[in-house]
Amino acid sequence: MVGESWVTTTFEKLEDWGRNNSFWPLPFGTACCAIEFMSVVSSHYDMSRFGYEVVRFSPRQSDLMIVAGTITDKMAPVLKKIYDQMPDPKWVVSMGACACSGGFYRAYHVMQGIDEIVPVDVYVPGCPPTPEGLMHGILQLKEKIERDRKRLKKAKAGSASDSDGSSAAA
Amino acid sequence: MSHPKATRPYKYSLAERLYLPLLAGLWITLKHFLRNVFRRGRSYTIQYPEERRNYSHRFRGHHILTARPDGSLRCVACFLCATACPAECITIEAGEHPDVNIEKYPVVYDIDMLRCVFCGYCVDACPEEAIIMSNNYDMAYFSRDQSIATKEELSKPYTYDASKLGYRPRYPEEEAQRAAIREGVVDLVGEARKRHHGGSEAKAS
Amino acid sequence: MPLLEKYPPDSVVPVAGLDQPTWIVHRDSLKELAAELQADSASGFDLLLDLCGADFPGRPDRFEAIYHLYSVERKERLRLKVPVPEDDPVLPSLAGIWKAANWFEREAFDMFGLRFEGHKNLRRILTHEAFEGHPLRKDYDAARRWILTEDKVYRPQPRPDDGESDDDMFEQMTINIGPSHPAMHGTFRVVAHLDGEVITASEVEIGYLHRCFEKMAETHTWQQVIPYTDRLNYCSSFINNVGYCRAVESLLGVEAPPKAVWARTILSEFSRIMDHCVCNGSTLVDAGALTNFWYFFQPREEIYGLLEACSGARLTVSYCRIGGLAEDLPPDFEAHCRRLLEMIPGFMDDIERLVNKNRIWLDRSVGVAAISGEEAVNWGWTGPCLRASGVANDVRRDHPYDLYDTVDWNVPVLPGGDVYDRYRVRMLEIRESLKIIRQLLDRGMPEGPHIIDDPHIALPPKEDAYNQMEAMIYHFKLIMDGIQVPAGEVYSMVEGANGELGFYAISDGSGKPYRLKVRPPCFPIMSTFSDLIRGGTVSDAVVSLGGLNVIAGELER
Repeated sequence: MVGESWVTTTFEKLEDWGRNNSFWPLPFGTACCAIEFMSVVSSHYDMSRFGYEVVRFSPRQSDLMIVAGTITDKMAPVLKKIYDQMPDPKWVVSMGACACSGGFYRAYHVMQGIDEIVPVDVYVPGCPPTPEGLMHGILQLKEKIERDRKRLKKAKAGSASDSDGSSAAA
Repeated sequence: MSHPKATRPYKYSLAERLYLPLLAGLWITLKHFLRNVFRRGRSYTIQYPEERRNYSHRFRGHHILTARPDGSLRCVACFLCATACPAECITIEAGEHPDVNIEKYPVVYDIDMLRCVFCGYCVDACPEEAIIMSNNYDMAYFSRDQSIATKEELSKPYTYDASKLGYRPRYPEEEAQRAAIREGVVDLVGEARKRHHGGSEAKAS
Repeated sequence: MPLLEKYPPDSVVPVAGLDQPTWIVHRDSLKELAAELQADSASGFDLLLDLCGADFPGRPDRFEAIYHLYSVERKERLRLKVPVPEDDPVLPSLAGIWKAANWFEREAFDMFGLRFEGHKNLRRILTHEAFEGHPLRKDYDAARRWILTEDKVYRPQPRPDDGESDDDMFEQMTINIGPSHPAMHGTFRVVAHLDGEVITASEVEIGYLHRCFEKMAETHTWQQVIPYTDRLNYCSSFINNVGYCRAVESLLGVEAPPKAVWARTILSEFSRIMDHCVCNGSTLVDAGALTNFWYFFQPREEIYGLLEACSGARLTVSYCRIGGLAEDLPPDFEAHCRRLLEMIPGFMDDIERLVNKNRIWLDRSVGVAAISGEEAVNWGWTGPCLRASGVANDVRRDHPYDLYDTVDWNVPVLPGGDVYDRYRVRMLEIRESLKIIRQLLDRGMPEGPHIIDDPHIALPPKEDAYNQMEAMIYHFKLIMDGIQVPAGEVYSMVEGANGELGFYAISDGSGKPYRLKVRPPCFPIMSTFSDLIRGGTVSDAVVSLGGLNVIAGELER
C-alpha cells in the first residue's frame, strides 16, 4: 500500500461522509418540476433533514445540479455553461420526464433529454415526480456515490473484481 | 411612464414608522415555533422514507400489467393504450397464439418510464383492464436503458398487493367507503385531517 | 360602432361568428379601422386580447391574422380576421394603437413569418436565434430541431440613453440578469442598462421554455391535448383543463352535467388559491420574507391532497375530460373540502398579520412598478394585476360560466396599481374563493353522472365496454380516431389565476385540432415589464417580477 497511510484513508472516509450528507444542490428549475422542487424544500417534505438544504443558485458553490423542468434548445447553452462552472466533483439529477427524455414534447424546440449535453447520474421519472420521488432519487445518488467510491478503492487495491451492482431499487 | 416610486406616496402611521408591527410578526413565528417544538407528534413534516404521506388509491404511479387467474397476461395486444398515449412511450409487438380461439398476446410490451407522463390515458383506453397503475413512486434510474420497463417488470407479482394499487377503472374500496358514509359511521373530516398529518397509519409498511 | 360604409367596398365584411361578431378586414383598411375601434368612445375596444396567425395552405390567401378585441366598459367582444397572401405576408403593425400588440406581433412573426410593417423590433421571440423557418406553418415538421450554439446566442444592445448627457458621478453599465437566476424564476432574461443603481433601459428576452404547445396540439387528438394544457400554468393546472374543455365543448355544442360543473367550480377556486399562494409566497421570498413561503405552502400541500384524491396526481391533474370529469368524485370529497375551508383561513391570517403592516415589505412594495388602469388596459392586462390598478374586470363576473353567477361574491379592486396592491388583491381573492367554495358545498353535491352520456364524446362506462359490443366499438373508435369535432372556430375564456385565459380553437372537422391558440394572460403582462422597471432600481425589478405572477409555462407555451 504505497502512498496510503492511515491518515489519508481516514481523511477520505471523513470526506466521503461529509460529501454524502451535505449536497449543496443547485436547482436548475425551469418549469412544473421546479414547483415540486419547492415542495421538497418546504415544510412538509423538508429536504434539510438529509443535510441538503443549502440551496445555492451560484454554480460555483454547489456540487449537485437538479435539473427540474423542460430544457429547450434555447436554454441548452445556458445549462451547459452552468454545468461547466460547477467545481468537481459534481453530480446531476435529472428530475422529471422532460429533463430525462423530452417527455411528451417530441417537438421542434425541446431537447430530447439533457444527456445530450451533460452527463446525468440519476434519472427520476414522473411528470412531475412526487417530492418523495425526487428524494428517493437523491438518496439513490448518495448510495451510488458510496458504491463508486468503494469500487474505486477496490480497483486501486488491485482487486480484479468489477461487479457493477448498479441496479436501481425501483 | 413616470418614475414608479413617485406615483403613490404612502403615509406611514407612527407605529409603522417605529417598526412595531414587526413585533406582532415575531410573535406569530414564535407561536409556530413553539407549537412545533412541543407538539412533535403533530409536526407538519413527514419523516420520509420511514414515514410516508398517505396517497389516495387513485394515485398514478408505476404501471402494472394484470394477469388472468391462470397467470397469463390479460393484455390482448390491441394497441389501444399505445394509441391513446400522448407521449408514445408504449411499445407493443403482438404475437399470435397457434390456437386461433385464443386471443393475441404481447410478445414485447415496453414502457419507457422516462417518456411517460403518468396521465393515465392507457388505463382509460384499455378494454380488458389489463393495464392499471400502482401507487409506487419510488423510481430512479442510473441510465436510460434501465428505464425501459419490460413485460416481466410490469407484471411483477409484488404489484398485486391491494394496498399498492393506484389509478384503475374500478375502486372496490370506494364502494365500502360510500356504504360507510351512507350509514354515517365514519367521521370524514377527521379522516381527512389524519391523512396529512401522517400518524401511525401513515408509516411505511 | 364605426361606420363601415366609409371603407372601400369589401374591405370590412361582417360575417356570422359562432361565438362572437367577426369581421373580415382587408389589410389596407386594418390600421385605420383599428385606430377607430380603439379610440371611438362609443365603441371603445380598448383591450387587445389576442393576436395570432393561422395557416390555410389551400386558400388563395394562405395566412390569416386574427385579432380578438374586448371592450372593458361594455364587455363586448369582436374578432377581426385579416387574410394575408403567402408571397407578400405584410400587415400594418398595431403596436402604436394597442401596446399589447408589440409582443403578439413578434410571436406571429416567429410562428408564421407574418411581417408587421412599422414594428420597431420585429425579431424572433419564442424560438432561438439559430432557428430557421416558421414552426406553426402546416408544412413545418413538428420534430425538426435546430441546435443553438453558444456563439449564436443573442446579445441584446439596450437602447442608449435618449440623448440626455450623463454628467453625474455614476458610471453607466449594462448587466445581464438570468435566465438562470433565482430572481428571474429560472426562465427569463433581462439585460438592463444601469445608471448607478437605476435602470434606464432594459430588454426582456423570453422563450427559454417554449415547449411548442400549439404545434403539439395540432399533432394530437382533442382528448390528448388535455395533459398538455396541465403544463401551461402549472401552478393552477385544473383551471387550464376547464378552459380547454369548455372551448371544445362549445364547439361540440354540449354542456357538462351539473355534477361536473359543480366540481369544476370548486376545484378551479382551490386551484386559484394554490396559484395565489405560490405567487405571493415567491414574491415575498424575493423581497426577503422567507417564513411566509412555508406558511403558504402548507395549505398548498393540503390542496394538493384534495386534487390527488380526485385525480391521482398532485400537480398535473388532467382531471377534466371533454364533457365532464375523468372520474367520479371520491366519496369523501365534501368532507375533504370542508377540512380545507377550516384550515386555510388560519394560515392566511398569520401571513397577513406578518406582512400587511410590515414596514420592510411596505418599503419594498408600495409605489413600486405602479401602472394606471388605463395604461394597463392598453398593454392588454387582465386578472388580478389589472384589478389592482382599479379596473374591475373579471371573466367570472362579466361573462359568467359554470356556477359563478349563482353564488354571492365580490370582485376585489384596489386603486394603487403597485406591487403592494397586487399582493393585497390576491390575498382578498383567496378569501373570496373560499366564500364561493363554502356556498357551493352548502348547496350540496348534485346527483347524477360526472360526464355526459354521449359515446361520440365520452368513453362509455368501462363495464359496458367490457360486455357490450356497441359500447366496445364506440370505445375503440373514440380512441383510434379521437372526438370528431364539427368544423368551426370558437374563442372561449375562463378566468385563470392571473387573468383571462382564452382558448381559440379552429376545427376542420377531423379528430385533431386544426389550430389551437392559447391567450396566455401573462404574455401581455410580461411585455410591459421593460417599461415597468424603468426608473426603478434592480431590487424593485426583482419584486415587481414576482408580483406580476408570470408563469413561464403559460407565457411561452
